[in-house]
Amino acid sequence: MVVKIRLARFGKRNAPFYNIVVAHARTARNSKPLEVLGTYDPIPKEPLDGEGKAFKDIRLDRARAKYWLGVGAQPSDPAWRLLTMIGLMPKKFTQTQQSQSQSKNAAEA
Amino acid sequence: MPPRIRKASLSCPLSHLPLSTRPQPSSLIPKYLSQHGACSRDFSTSLQRSTGLRRDMFRWLNGPGAVFRDPAEGSTNYLSAYDREGNLNRRKRSARSDDAEAENSSVQEVPEEELIDLKPFPMNRNFISHNVLSEELREEIYSRVVTLGRSVRVVSAELGIDMNRVGAVVRLKTIEKEWQKEGKTLAKPYARAVMEMVPKTPYNPNNPIPHESINDLPVHSATMQQIFEPTSESRRFTREDAAKVFHPKLLPADKRIPHPELIELERERLESVPREERINRQRERLAKEAQLATWRKEKKEEYERKHTKVIAPKAGRWEFRFTDVSVDAAGKDGRGPDGVGWRYGMPHEDRKRGQVKIPTSVPA
Repeated sequence: MVVKIRLARFGKRNAPFYNIVVAHARTARNSKPLEVLGTYDPIPKEPLDGEGKAFKDIRLDRARAKYWLGVGAQPSDPAWRLLTMIGLMPKKFTQTQQSQSQSKNAAEA
Repeated sequence: MPPRIRKASLSCPLSHLPLSTRPQPSSLIPKYLSQHGACSRDFSTSLQRSTGLRRDMFRWLNGPGAVFRDPAEGSTNYLSAYDREGNLNRRKRSARSDDAEAENSSVQEVPEEELIDLKPFPMNRNFISHNVLSEELREEIYSRVVTLGRSVRVVSAELGIDMNRVGAVVRLKTIEKEWQKEGKTLAKPYARAVMEMVPKTPYNPNNPIPHESINDLPVHSATMQQIFEPTSESRRFTREDAAKVFHPKLLPADKRIPHPELIELERERLESVPREERINRQRERLAKEAQLATWRKEKKEEYERKHTKVIAPKAGRWEFRFTDVSVDAAGKDGRGPDGVGWRYGMPHEDRKRGQVKIPTSVPA
């Protein structure tokens, strides 16, 4: 069975909070995973000193994430996006970006 | 049929009323004279029944209660501070204690309240009204903490006010000043009226009056048990040992009190170290403590910087902060309190009874 790195939604209504988990692909979203790698809080927090941008807090065990990727775990798209930011995965184009670049290539040719 | 027009009649003829209730210049009669027989509505001709309680009320209002119409200024005006005839108890006491002196000096002035005068509820003699911080004292706290930059602990020890209270005053004063800056109207007349009614701790710049006991030992649940601990007579059994008997990790009482630094100060005073020397030593200790605190804070920040990676996309509205954590922190069964992530097999408890949701600390 495929092992995936994906997000499991916890939190409340209008207050999402995600666990970044390693789980078998066919198991339910919030079922007990193989391992919890970390968390992703998608609600931006204002910095305490009031300066700079609001931030989204992500906690992640990088070494374990690397290990699971090494043994063939497949990140879901949102997980892929997060892993790209810390350089664990190559950048994946979003569909709009892809179509834009294709049309550009076609125009050049 | 005659038109049905209401008679514009004088519903409550004055001649029916007793003499005392007829409208008269208010300066001539007291306010609360209406004893009986007065009509409460203009159109009513019936006489109102007067009960014994009502008569008693007016008797009190016109008799002993009359003193409360013009309350004594600069003092509390609690019921139990007066006797049945409406005389101030403490004025009688002071007159009794110094007959000769009192006659000319303190006839007008109200003597200071004692504990017995500070009982606002005559039926509850156990309730004592305690002092509140006066406006000047609160202003002084704010200026010492914010303007002079002294720590809350130091200001608390200097003025004899609990640290929690000092913190609260600083926070409220900050809000007040902010509001003043924004041009918001403050309920000053209300505050003044309330402050006139309660006992206050004044601010004495040269010799601050302690507001409350600041160094009380908080009760720890581990110390709530009776233990019979046999010890050797030949060895000293100190507070450190007592703490260890209660719990191996319990700190001794000397360290659990809010102001442990005052112990050293008092010890030096008993050893008759000169005042200047004591002050210098205390200053050094405080400086060392502050240095340690900043060092700890810096260390923590450095650790966080080291373990946090900030990704700030140029076009994005926010940045992403990646903090490195360890999966092993959850322990063998994955249920450790330090473990990362929302826990599995654990229901939300926030709707459970008795869950406190009011924040108990301010994020620094």
